[in-house]
Amino acid sequence: MPNERPAPTALPVAESSSAPSSPRRRPSRRNFLAGVGGVSLASVLAACTPGAKSTSGSGGGAKANILVIAMTASDIPLLDTGLAQNQGYEGLRFVANQLFDGLTKFDLKQGEKIPPVIPGLALSWTANAAATVWTFKLRPNVKFTDGTPWNADAAIFNFNRYINKSAPEFYPALNAAAGLTISSLKSSKKIDDMTIEVTTNGPLAYLPSNLTTVYFASPTAVKAEGNEGFGAKPVGTGPFTFVSMTRGQQLVLKANPDYWGGAPKVEQVILRPIPDPTARIAALRSGQVNWAEVPPPDDVPTLTKDGFQVLTNSYDHVWPWVINGQKKPFTDVRVRQAMNYAINREALIKNVLQGTADPEFQAAARANAAYREENNLYSYDPAKAKSLLAAAGLPNGFSTTLSYPTSGSGNMVPTPMNEALQQDLAAVGIKVKLQPVEWASMLTDYFVGKIPGNADMINISLSMQQEGFWNTWFGAGSGPNVGKYNNPKVQALFTQAAATLDDTKRSDLYAQAVKYITEDAPWVFIVDDRNPRVLAANVKGFIEPKSWFADLTTLSVS
Amino acid sequence: MITFLSRRIAAAIPILIGVSIVVFITIKIIPGDPIASLLGPTSTPEARSELTARLGLNRALPIQYFSWIGHTVRGDLGNSIAKQTAVRPLVFDAFKNTLILTLFAAILAFAAGLLLGAIAALRRGKISAAISNAISLFSISVPQYSIALLLIIYLATGTGWFPSAGMYNAIGGGGWGDLFAHIVLPGISAALVPAGIIARMFRSVVIDVMSMDFIDSMRARGLSERKILWHAFHNTMPTLLTIAGLQLGYLLGGVIFVETIFAWPGLGLLVYQSITQRDLPVIQAGVIVSALAFVLINLIVDALHATIDPRVRA
Repeated sequence: MPNERPAPTALPVAESSSAPSSPRRRPSRRNFLAGVGGVSLASVLAACTPGAKSTSGSGGGAKANILVIAMTASDIPLLDTGLAQNQGYEGLRFVANQLFDGLTKFDLKQGEKIPPVIPGLALSWTANAAATVWTFKLRPNVKFTDGTPWNADAAIFNFNRYINKSAPEFYPALNAAAGLTISSLKSSKKIDDMTIEVTTNGPLAYLPSNLTTVYFASPTAVKAEGNEGFGAKPVGTGPFTFVSMTRGQQLVLKANPDYWGGAPKVEQVILRPIPDPTARIAALRSGQVNWAEVPPPDDVPTLTKDGFQVLTNSYDHVWPWVINGQKKPFTDVRVRQAMNYAINREALIKNVLQGTADPEFQAAARANAAYREENNLYSYDPAKAKSLLAAAGLPNGFSTTLSYPTSGSGNMVPTPMNEALQQDLAAVGIKVKLQPVEWASMLTDYFVGKIPGNADMINISLSMQQEGFWNTWFGAGSGPNVGKYNNPKVQALFTQAAATLDDTKRSDLYAQAVKYITEDAPWVFIVDDRNPRVLAANVKGFIEPKSWFADLTTLSVS
Repeated sequence: MITFLSRRIAAAIPILIGVSIVVFITIKIIPGDPIASLLGPTSTPEARSELTARLGLNRALPIQYFSWIGHTVRGDLGNSIAKQTAVRPLVFDAFKNTLILTLFAAILAFAAGLLLGAIAALRRGKISAAISNAISLFSISVPQYSIALLLIIYLATGTGWFPSAGMYNAIGGGGWGDLFAHIVLPGISAALVPAGIIARMFRSVVIDVMSMDFIDSMRARGLSERKILWHAFHNTMPTLLTIAGLQLGYLLGGVIFVETIFAWPGLGLLVYQSITQRDLPVIQAGVIVSALAFVLINLIVDALHATIDPRVRA
């Protein structure tokens, strides 16, 4: 945010021609002052007295078993299933996953391994050999919080709402918002009361993972309120139920005592959008909230010292520079590799990020199933970078440009980070000109395959949360593959993976692709975020998972 | 008087249309589109083009504009693209919150401004005047952003006297006491610059008036100091009114930074968010409501001015 103050006024502040002062007037001035001043002073003092009791010290949140979360989002997400993604993954994390369930879900009750896909509203599932037709056995004895039973009819109603353009309940906005997650779903049908079948457009071995974020709304509530109206009175099967919302201010959820996965320990969850990172930490320190997302890295040491719980863990997130491989000199793989050797990731993490990230030496994030230690190809080696540049015929380096966002979801603290990298590269002769771009305008260009400002590289944080993203970021012909990376061997591995049902074999195939991508260096691989969040000392029992999402049922506030 | 007011109201209409055109064109010229920020990086091209067509964003720009203004005139402000909800309650709720903050800040600014201005004018050459001058200069020059953060550091997180964000407490919030505790810090931050400006203006007006001949002649006729001061104060009124109107207008538009820092759910914060999402219907409505308020405030000031000073009505 720009920190210039607005132009104070257009009025000229005229100095009047001073009148000769005479001793006669002295008492008059005093009276005048007493008059004007008395009134003003009284009102100023009155206004400055702390009003009522404010939320000092322990704060209101500490007395009750209520979790108050300061989100980075600028507003309360939409409360209708997949539409919650209008505030990014934060919307799914705190709203969709709390009000609703998918057929499947991630096991977020542990923080050691990458969360496996476990049964949600489905008890079990099987696929045909081609991975195109899937049968789901639904979880019995589950009810939506309005009493509507969960069964095949409810499931099909919701699939229709997402994807069936000829169904009356089809909701175009939901279809658009769910994007890649549902783009390969073809149809769904009821087999019996507790069994459904889902067909995909092609082999989709990772469908169960995608279905973690396809959410089920109460058909009764949707029919009563209409597609557009449902978001004002959402009803799902999730661990929390909707209480009230004040747009722009807060959303109140309360525990669902009958939750099929076990009732939450906390009584209420209140979400407050506080987009400014400093304001979030101030709200935490003044006791207005007891959970704050993404603190500024510089605050992490003092927060820890002051007894707050600063939690971090790897998750499926990458923060690279994407190189336009069609431009010279980047057409030469040695130049791209040289950049990967020239940067000091550890120093960046220590000095700028205060340990809230991990260095990345390959194309896969640490919390991705395709991550293999042996694929770590790069290191901080300026001498090697120089020799690679010399071999590419650029012993004196070259000049280039980078577009980077000034803020935005997942982009960490882009300005100081890019400036640090700029210095590393200058040391081997690569002069990078930094071009800051506003996030919304960057996204628009990015979607149509363009790098803003026609720069040579773009810095943007990307997710690997869905397996489909491998193809989105690295697949030939994919729009957001702005670097125009194209390796037929990688492409073949992606295709093979999509048809491989065995999770371990599939991740091995991605790991092979990662090996090729890492060698090809279409990106400068920089860091994986560790998703820092800060909890007040009295929030107990939360487990920070290796995920974009979080389980709020295990924690309580004492 | 009625002709005077109706003339002023008629003059406001082209101003509002002009404002709406400027906003519309600005948003269309700058890069970025609402579909991109709504659907996020994982959306498919088909979904994006479908939504673009459904929202009518693929129509020619003049058609988009006239369709919007046609609905607006009939009181229909349309739907927010990013929030998928009606714009009217969104904008009016936010405006109400901004108005509360603005009025509070205006009261602070006037109280402090008049006090400092009067001291500076009537105690010239004294140390108290020098201090008043220094304070008012400081409050004009200091960046709002830094003062807001300092207030948060010392009065919210440091002492815990005041909450640092929002309008009400998350738990057990509501009521006047809660609102008052929340409004103090943003109110002070917003009041600083106008307080300084009012102080500087008031100082020069008082000095001017006190040196006018009628003060001397009143004194010669033996009027009491109290009466003389009352007449002097009356003579500063027209200028004070003008300053009041302008500063209130600036406050309405200028609290955007304060609202962002203190997460105050006002119109400034709403419009700021909507700009980052390119949510044109909300931006348009927000700016029009702000412009309308600015015009109305000035209208009221002009009417009061005309009441006090009949020469203005001509």
